[in-house]
Amino acid sequence: MTTEVKQVKMKDLKALDPRWCTGCGDYTMLVGVRKLMVKDQMQPKDTVYVSGIGCSGRIPHYMNTYGFHTIHGRSVPISTGVALVRPDLNVFVASGDGDSLSIGGNHLLHGISKNIHCVYMMHDNQIYGLTKNQTSPTTRKGLVTATSPGGSIMDPINPIRFALGLGATFVASTAEWLGQHFVDTIEAAKNHKGFSFVHVAQRCPKFNPAAWDFQNSDWINFLDHENGVAGDTKGAPDAKVVKHDPSDLEGAFSHSENVPNVFGIFYQKEKASYDDLMRQAVENTPKKDPSKLLDGFAL
Amino acid sequence: MATQKEIMRFELIMDAGNGAQKAGDILIKAFAKSGRFVFIEPLIPAEISPPKRTPHSMSGAVIRVSTNELSNMGSTSDLMLFEHEILLERRLKDSDYTIGGLVLLDMADERRAKDAYAAVIEEAKSVGLKVISFNMDDESVAIIKELNGNGKNMYYLGMMAAIYEMPEEYVAGLIRQVFKKLSEEKLNKNLTIYANGYKNALEVCPETFDIPKTEKSMTDSILLDGNTSLAMGIIDAGIRFYAGYPITPASSIMHSLSKAFPAYGGMVHQAEDEISAVGAMIGSYYAGVPAVTATSGPGLSLKQEFIGLANSAEIPSIIINVQRGGPSTGLPTRTEQTDLFASVFGTHGESPKVAISVSNVEDCFYVPHVARYITEKLRAPVIILSDYITSVSYKVLEKLPLLELDDINDISDDILARFNIKRLPDTIEMVKDNQANPGVPDKMRRVTGLNTDASGNVVYSSESNQRSHDIRNEKLEVVRRALTSPEIIGAPTGDLLLVCWGSSRGVVEEAINLANQEGIKVSALNFKIVYPLPTMLSEIFKKFKKVVTIEVAFGKENKPTEFSTLLRSETLVDIGLGLAQATGRPLKPKSVLARIKDLV
Repeated sequence: MTTEVKQVKMKDLKALDPRWCTGCGDYTMLVGVRKLMVKDQMQPKDTVYVSGIGCSGRIPHYMNTYGFHTIHGRSVPISTGVALVRPDLNVFVASGDGDSLSIGGNHLLHGISKNIHCVYMMHDNQIYGLTKNQTSPTTRKGLVTATSPGGSIMDPINPIRFALGLGATFVASTAEWLGQHFVDTIEAAKNHKGFSFVHVAQRCPKFNPAAWDFQNSDWINFLDHENGVAGDTKGAPDAKVVKHDPSDLEGAFSHSENVPNVFGIFYQKEKASYDDLMRQAVENTPKKDPSKLLDGFAL
Repeated sequence: MATQKEIMRFELIMDAGNGAQKAGDILIKAFAKSGRFVFIEPLIPAEISPPKRTPHSMSGAVIRVSTNELSNMGSTSDLMLFEHEILLERRLKDSDYTIGGLVLLDMADERRAKDAYAAVIEEAKSVGLKVISFNMDDESVAIIKELNGNGKNMYYLGMMAAIYEMPEEYVAGLIRQVFKKLSEEKLNKNLTIYANGYKNALEVCPETFDIPKTEKSMTDSILLDGNTSLAMGIIDAGIRFYAGYPITPASSIMHSLSKAFPAYGGMVHQAEDEISAVGAMIGSYYAGVPAVTATSGPGLSLKQEFIGLANSAEIPSIIINVQRGGPSTGLPTRTEQTDLFASVFGTHGESPKVAISVSNVEDCFYVPHVARYITEKLRAPVIILSDYITSVSYKVLEKLPLLELDDINDISDDILARFNIKRLPDTIEMVKDNQANPGVPDKMRRVTGLNTDASGNVVYSSESNQRSHDIRNEKLEVVRRALTSPEIIGAPTGDLLLVCWGSSRGVVEEAINLANQEGIKVSALNFKIVYPLPTMLSEIFKKFKKVVTIEVAFGKENKPTEFSTLLRSETLVDIGLGLAQATGRPLKPKSVLARIKDLV
């Protein structure tokens, strides 16, 4: 059988016109993922973009791949089903900070710990955007929101620590406005076998413009390593660049103290994915004759 | 001298954890293998092993045996064996005994509860039961002590085997099979206890019973319970992915599949919660692999949002709900038929879906085929409604013909007819024109819970939203038009029509037979597909002076059951209150008969 593989171009990846607010970081993420697909010639027919609910949840509609815009917090269950039965597909997951760490926390926990093969992008704008300005699990202490008129009283959850603590096999953080760093990071995530957890700093000009100071870069620390992703000193000229080997778990925990001001690959290791193990278990089971299905129940 | 009886119900009641279920299983096998029909209701606590010698610890097997086919648990027990007086006292409260029936009571605990024993025996006698007290022999007591208190069930099993005139060595052979993993030494100890029980029963029990064997050939028969039947049906229906989360009484479907599925290329995914289980099932179906999830009441509530998404996104999906007593944890080890509305209307928004119920173990085997056929044709969720009593009841069946279904269009008309439905049209309109699975070139598409137009693009216009509702509802109309009349038991016209669904069918059928024997004419209408309802119902109802429902559900005057509410609203016929009992236990044919007499 000869299959003609079509050259993938940026314009092929456009679907509906996005409906995000002007200046929303989701636009740059959308372009970044398209760039990766063109760069690595990922076939749209073999790519499934799964999302939860929120502004991030809309991304599949704007990508001309297969897509599944699911329900709030539940992108991982759908992705798990897809990954278990279709190892031939590339699965991208888009989820926001509330979607990931509030309503979908249990699923994210199990997606990470089962090491389901997918690229999980947590769009972190530190606010509930689509529901209009409520405190999220990553909202910084003191931020005034519709549900915290006196300022948020809680310390935000550290998503990197969450992932590292669960034994994630790929943990990274990047920022959507750092185009090169973003594409490099999700490319490394895509090439990793298992659950690639990528925290993405994402701008919300409407409700939380102060979350990420994208016009300055002196607050940014890049984790740089030959086995990781190079620090993006062009996009962030004033950033500090520190060496960190992604196989160093202790170092990863130590750097995670400074989250969300650290971008790069915190940790990466090889480990069998649940979906691979499950398929192997089925494949290794000696097969029985389906026409004798009920013979074992004979009196 | 053995009394011949064509049908009998007996029970073995012990403290939980002492092996009553195991002994019951062996007895069922013994009866079935020797040519008798059986039906069983395990009585198990919702806890694992509550403190012994308390009423909460009651665990037992209620077994009905007959020369002829059985469709339900019957009404009362003719013979009951109790480990101690507290269990007898607890069980007397259920009024499940036959007046004049036999009670066998182990007196081992009498020394610690002399007065209680005397009082309970008096009470049992006062309600018309014959009480036979017995003590185990010293050798058995000593062996049970050596076995850390285990093995009592083998003594009782021996007694039952003797009382039912089973050859001693025959049942001993079954014990060897069931305990094949036990060490030779332990097995022999169990067998000695069994043999002692067998020997001693004949000394204490003046009466033995002989249930004649069926004249039917049983060589091709199988013994299957409802949930195992569902699991095997799932395999035969060509489903290849199961996702679930532990919940009683649905879990045993997952247990059976975990063992059997991989040998037929299927996968069982134990999800982190009920929501994730339904999500993974939808993910699998979205990716093109037929899938199913099973749960019980609370799990169904948790899955509802995803079920709504599947409907809107047009992803086939099959959800099995093994109904139990509720709400909340309710009565997890008891039966009820009260999730009809939750199944059909439980999802937020206007989200029509098909619900299919099962009336017996055969239905359990074929319902996955029909559910798969309908869900893939409609690309809308299908809910299968079983219940606790169907899930645990064993039945002797003629070996069921297999379908080995791959393409849903190869489903047989017979199987569809079993569920009172004809083949669906070749093409059914979808909200979205493109329904390709991932991997198909040039057909890339996005599915979503948002409203879309025919191209699959998100659209919020009033016209488009109305169109989606129209199409989703029309899918149900397609099913409605394909429905044939539900099964009519008895004459198609008359004074009284009993309407039932699911596991009530067997009880109603038996009650009608009892009524006929007394010269009372009554008919029944049994539903398999409970939503949508067929078009000819009012015509059927009009041919009877009175129409009432018979269900394991709560109902009273001015508070019709869910099913009768549905029937009333769709037919505008005044469906009355037949029998609506939510006791957690199956209905009794005798209670239905009494109600028939009230109504005619």
